[in-house]
Amino acid sequence: MENNWNPLGYKNLYRELFKKHLNRQNELLKNNRPVGWFFSFHPSELIYIFDVVSAFPEQYSAYCAARGSSVDLIDTSISSGYGHFLCDYFKTTIGMIEAPEKATPPLMPKPDFIISSRALCVAHHEMAEVFARYYGIPKYTVNYPYWTTDSLKNPDELTKEAEWADELYVEYTVERLRGLVDFMAEVAGEADEEKFREVFRKSEKTSELLIKILNLMMSKPTPGSQREISDLVFIAFFVLGSDYALEFCENAYEVIRERVKKGEGVSEEKHRLLTFGIVPWHSLKIYQYCESMGANFPVNLYVNASVHKADSSNPYMSMVRRSMHFTNSSYEMLDGVVKTARKADIDGALLLENTGCRITSMIIRPLAERLREDLGVQSLILEAPQCDPRVMPMERAKTQIDAFLESLA
Amino acid sequence: MREPFKIFYSIFQEKTKLREYVDSGRRVFGTMCNNVPEEIIHSLGAVPIRMFGNYGNTNLANSKIPSWTCNYARNVMEAGLRGDFDFLEGVVSATTDDTKIHLFSAYRFYIKPRFSYLVQFPYVRDEVSEEFFARELERFAKHLSSHLSVEFNEDRLSASAGVYNTYRELCGEFESLRAEEKPKIRADEFMALMLSSLSMLKEDFVSMADNLPEMLGDHDGFSDYRLRVHLSGTDFYNLTLLRLIEESGMAVVSDDLCTSAGYFTGKVEGDGFRGIAERYSGCTACVMTSSNTELSVEERLRFIRKKIKENNADAIVLLKDRGCEVCGHQCPWIVREIDIPVLVLDLDFPLSVEQYRTRMEAFVEAHGGG
Ligand code: SF4
Ligand code: SF4
Repeated sequence: MENNWNPLGYKNLYRELFKKHLNRQNELLKNNRPVGWFFSFHPSELIYIFDVVSAFPEQYSAYCAARGSSVDLIDTSISSGYGHFLCDYFKTTIGMIEAPEKATPPLMPKPDFIISSRALCVAHHEMAEVFARYYGIPKYTVNYPYWTTDSLKNPDELTKEAEWADELYVEYTVERLRGLVDFMAEVAGEADEEKFREVFRKSEKTSELLIKILNLMMSKPTPGSQREISDLVFIAFFVLGSDYALEFCENAYEVIRERVKKGEGVSEEKHRLLTFGIVPWHSLKIYQYCESMGANFPVNLYVNASVHKADSSNPYMSMVRRSMHFTNSSYEMLDGVVKTARKADIDGALLLENTGCRITSMIIRPLAERLREDLGVQSLILEAPQCDPRVMPMERAKTQIDAFLESLA
Repeated sequence: MREPFKIFYSIFQEKTKLREYVDSGRRVFGTMCNNVPEEIIHSLGAVPIRMFGNYGNTNLANSKIPSWTCNYARNVMEAGLRGDFDFLEGVVSATTDDTKIHLFSAYRFYIKPRFSYLVQFPYVRDEVSEEFFARELERFAKHLSSHLSVEFNEDRLSASAGVYNTYRELCGEFESLRAEEKPKIRADEFMALMLSSLSMLKEDFVSMADNLPEMLGDHDGFSDYRLRVHLSGTDFYNLTLLRLIEESGMAVVSDDLCTSAGYFTGKVEGDGFRGIAERYSGCTACVMTSSNTELSVEERLRFIRKKIKENNADAIVLLKDRGCEVCGHQCPWIVREIDIPVLVLDLDFPLSVEQYRTRMEAFVEAHGGG
């Protein structure tokens, strides 16, 4: 299999992005700036407004999975008594804390504070508690609502702009977010207002580009590989609001636009698949395998969930909007997803059940049902924890994919 | 199990009371979490009951939700898919953990109850969050009252809070009886009481069980044990395992289970929605909410320590459902931080209880006196 599967050529852009991100982190560490641990859907803009060093257990765990150390770390966590059927990101991070010698360097810096949230899963809150107890550090919690049909109407699947959201929930979340800003000011010192606006302006531009990129991915033929696209979550979740995220997106957008203009696809397109589930970071080749057989992925709902339209004129609402994704909404709210799938003209779906993650694993069957009922589209469900390759050996996955693609033909 | 407890257990198992309510035209609402403020449902003239399934194999559920999720969730799903809850007017859950949120969503998606509501829990107890929570409860009351076409009334809410407080006091009496030097209630009997109380109106339970403490007080109590234990866990309700624990030489003298002390501990003290909100967010046996300056695991540990001290427990038996996310995160801290022996039982459902016997006996051998 070709190792350099990089049709869009984003690899160099990512390299540049990571380099700049690491330089920033190192610079701040040198200046003794406080370190915070955060989770996905956290308003990452605050990291840049308050000039703090950021570390994300999810991102670090994904890195360990890609480098092959996550299995040992997961086992360490289980032998310490933590549950087997918990989020891989939690288990991997516990492994790093308890057996740092087994973890891939550079390790996450020791936190001075932690921000717990529930904009996606209670697991974030549960693990933040455990990490805060290990390190004896302060924790602040932002509790977003879990959206249901009686509290949110017609959110757009990509922008997360909704027709209506219950005022009580929005107001409370905004209050907690204001409290978060105060908390950050306490741990990191006051930030100036102009900087606040400036970071949100960058975030807004970046978010618009991300949305455009994901829209272009739905072109025919599919212009990019999921090996390149799935890493966009790094930008949407973790570095949105930074200069380098904006720079990356400006370049990435131009590249994909050109490619779509020229009608260049990942491969000779035979099938257009939707995918969902957290990317199995240890086996990204799974996408490449499909794509090399002409089964491309114009839609990755996990990546779509990570983006939102930031709004610098209303930053707090913008932070709340981050939570209005379908994985944080009750299952009758899959209309937006079906609409996206229809627009992308998909003919199959590859859904990944991330063992230990109740969020992705429990919504998968209702999702498959809606795709089948509304669009007549069949799904292949693979059990694939995101950091533990033992559950989904590649060879077995390939056999199942072969059979599935054959059934679509 | 002795006679009066058998009657209570059959109320749970046979759903006898529920049938009566439904036959007499009462509307019954199923709850998926001990943190659903039942007083609100009760005040609107409806009957809140806790949803349980009692299936060894959950094959139907496993085709809808992952087979590695907790026994409680799979059983509720299984029972729902089999039509056991068809008599329910609606279901209510709370955002207390991922399983409960997504069980609620899956249940709504597949079973389509006529009414459903997810109570949004704040995970912190500060002024803003308490105020929000009170307003959230009011929102819930509005939704339910409009579904039932019954006007909400503050006086009725405080009357319902009174009914629940009386029930909680009675449970407290049972709790003291099992904590005596010679415990007067067996673990399976205690659980039978709890389960029946979760399957009927609290006023009915109180009138049925009110004379029990006096009756039991006259009893000599049990002394056939070598180790007094505190039971720790979550939505646990397997009587066979409880029997085995006691057969192995242990007496269960207290617990922090969601189906028992985690449910009845703490009274509503204040008025209106704010009073209800304070009671539910202040439940320290509950695992997710804590004050701004403390972690919820610390509050849980404090609750366990208090129970151990009050009831002279010598050890803890930790019931760790393999699929329970709360146990999964918190067990190591209980083992590490409580300085009495802990026996961790990894529970894989359906349970083959005999496999635990040897470990229990060895534990009693190692830590039991006499
Ligand atoms: S993998 Fe699942 S449980 Fe883990 S952080 Fe992500 S959504 Fe939460
Ligand atoms: S507390 Fe544990 S047992 Fe109860 S619903 Fe949640 S995961 Fe299941």
